[in-house]
Amino acid sequence: MDLQFSAADVAFRDEVRTWLTDNVPTGRRPKLGRPMRDYDLAWQRKLYEAGWGNVAWPIEYGGRDLPLIQQLVWFEEYARTGMRPIDTRFVGLAHAGPTLMARASQEQKTFHLPKILQGEVVWCQGFSEPEAGSDLASLRTKAVVDGDQLVVTGQKIWTSYADSADYQELLVRTNLDVVKHKGITWVICDMKSPGIDIRPIRTIEGGADFSEVFYDEVRVPLSNVVGGIDNGWSVAMSTLAFERGTAFTISQVQLAASVEELIELARSKRSIDGKPVIEDDSIAQRLARARADCAALRALTYLGISKNANSDQPGPEGSMMKLHYADLAKRVYRLGVEILGPRSLAIPADEDDTDWVDKHLIAYSTSIGGGTSEIQRNIIGERVLGLPR
Amino acid sequence: MDLLTTSEQAEIVDSSAAFLADRISIARTRELFEGGDLPAIADDAWLGAADLGWFALGLPEDRNGIGCGLADEVLLFREIGRRLAPGPFLSTVLGARVASFGGDPELADEITAGRRVGLVIPASLDAIGADGSVTGDVQLIDADLDGLVLAVTPGVASLIAVSSLDAVTEVPCVDPTVRLHRAVGTGAAPTVSLASDVDPIELRGHVLAAALLAGIVEWSRDTGAEHAINRVQFDRPIGVNQAIKHPCADMAVQAQLAYSQSLFGALAIDEGRPDAEFQALSAHITAAAAADFATAATLQIMGGMGFTHEHDVHLYVKRMELLSHMLGAPAAWLERLLELPEPV
Repeated sequence: MDLQFSAADVAFRDEVRTWLTDNVPTGRRPKLGRPMRDYDLAWQRKLYEAGWGNVAWPIEYGGRDLPLIQQLVWFEEYARTGMRPIDTRFVGLAHAGPTLMARASQEQKTFHLPKILQGEVVWCQGFSEPEAGSDLASLRTKAVVDGDQLVVTGQKIWTSYADSADYQELLVRTNLDVVKHKGITWVICDMKSPGIDIRPIRTIEGGADFSEVFYDEVRVPLSNVVGGIDNGWSVAMSTLAFERGTAFTISQVQLAASVEELIELARSKRSIDGKPVIEDDSIAQRLARARADCAALRALTYLGISKNANSDQPGPEGSMMKLHYADLAKRVYRLGVEILGPRSLAIPADEDDTDWVDKHLIAYSTSIGGGTSEIQRNIIGERVLGLPR
Repeated sequence: MDLLTTSEQAEIVDSSAAFLADRISIARTRELFEGGDLPAIADDAWLGAADLGWFALGLPEDRNGIGCGLADEVLLFREIGRRLAPGPFLSTVLGARVASFGGDPELADEITAGRRVGLVIPASLDAIGADGSVTGDVQLIDADLDGLVLAVTPGVASLIAVSSLDAVTEVPCVDPTVRLHRAVGTGAAPTVSLASDVDPIELRGHVLAAALLAGIVEWSRDTGAEHAINRVQFDRPIGVNQAIKHPCADMAVQAQLAYSQSLFGALAIDEGRPDAEFQALSAHITAAAAADFATAATLQIMGGMGFTHEHDVHLYVKRMELLSHMLGAPAAWLERLLELPEPV
């Protein structure tokens, strides 16, 4: 049991830090559309060309397949650059890509995986529907076989970066005569197909990363089905086995960095009574508690990675980290608004504003996206503690 | 970096759990405190723990210790906390260190052989001077009148003869397993003292208290979940309800946080990391908050039974209070934590 990194891992950290310092994009990331996509894909190409296309992907697909400890080092260093944990590259690299590796045909893999890794394409996800949120398996978007094609009609929602995407990992209902988990199919949908209508959803902070996607008799070749007709639920679940808790490190490290920035902010700003905000005992105590909470979240991450490095099955730490992170992120970014005080009403809040109000508003999504905190608690209660459903 | 327990560490956990179950059961503890025998641990059980090397576990071998790390002591203390063992384990383990590193090896040997060391809880932090002497109002946890008590500040740790204190008066403690005295320090020189830059006794104390609290969180999680599974109302186990299931899940998260941060704090001290103080304080803060939440959650899940003297949960609630009020206070730890440099 130790916290120390081996000499090889320390040398690796130096290598990563040097490369990232020299290569990380300097310009501000555009928030929308083509410029955002171009920015993200240019970064992916640069990463790929330097051998950093993906640290977790197997070598046979062009990844580095690093040991978990070195993945942790990579993500810790990546986090320090301030680059976002999730951008338009995320679904391809962290979700659709690993699913294709696990379940796609050789032809599908050969076509798609290099494009993802080399920064040529953006993928999005078509899972949630208006009537299928936490209860994903009740999805209704239907697909009917017509010759060598599936004809898809229905609606998806909460699709991030739909308008930037080339491909979508799409779950459709292909069988209404079986229990709901059994009649689902996982297909690769070309987002330029006729019949697709994308309507951006404006979100709480004013952004529009999410969209609704409507499908009106969209034709998808049967050769785009992954894992076979009606096997889509198990294909979707296979992605989970890939997640080993290392990528989460970016969010964890950046939250801890935010706490440090907020402590500085509280020292530099004055309250309405003219005193430095840090002298407000309530704020000071909550900042200190956030420091302790971030320390414990990191320790939990390390414990999870230690377990996963020695096991084939990811442990329950994933749900635990997500749940605790969501609670903590909301508390931390709320503090940002409290430290700014009435200044937070104006946008931007301050001449040296670092989007604290945006971060506070966006933090509301941390306990909703990717499985709500309520669902995470159900998972932990049932799978870890053995409570009845 | 590896936070998994080794097979040697698993052996420490298993053997200590077995000893606690056999010799320091809560049923036995209840008999003792209800008979007025405080601290509520039998002498033979205390000496049995000494024979197992519990008080010498973290002392270096060249100091007649077993030479294990603070992380190993965390694993032992988590078991002690989980099973609510009474007695001044924390101050005795730390007291042996103060004696050994403070230049009194014979005293250290006496302590590791089973001489109990109580703990000073000062009414205010400045009651303990830079030389480790005690002045003014204090409370004593599990002190023997002819024995020694440990006084700790961030800068110094000392062993004080109880006989050097004035007005030593026994009073009931909220934790019924504890022998509590009020006393007044006279500023008399301590028997032995040790500066924290030689050995960070206070930080080790925070980590061990965190480990005890982590054990309490785990007991609460397991007890609450077991009741949620077995208790049937409206023809269904109450655990099907999210109002019950979700606090159970939150306890599972809090347990992992308290445990992993206790280990992180211990290893930071063992490895001499510059952020050892940050990590050790974070461990105590995290574990105290986790135990506060978890004991209350389990008491609520137990319903009316949780409010009774008969069920054990109140003993854990009270132990949590004790462990959250030693080595300073949460508000003081938070104030210190905020002033420390960023962790490495």
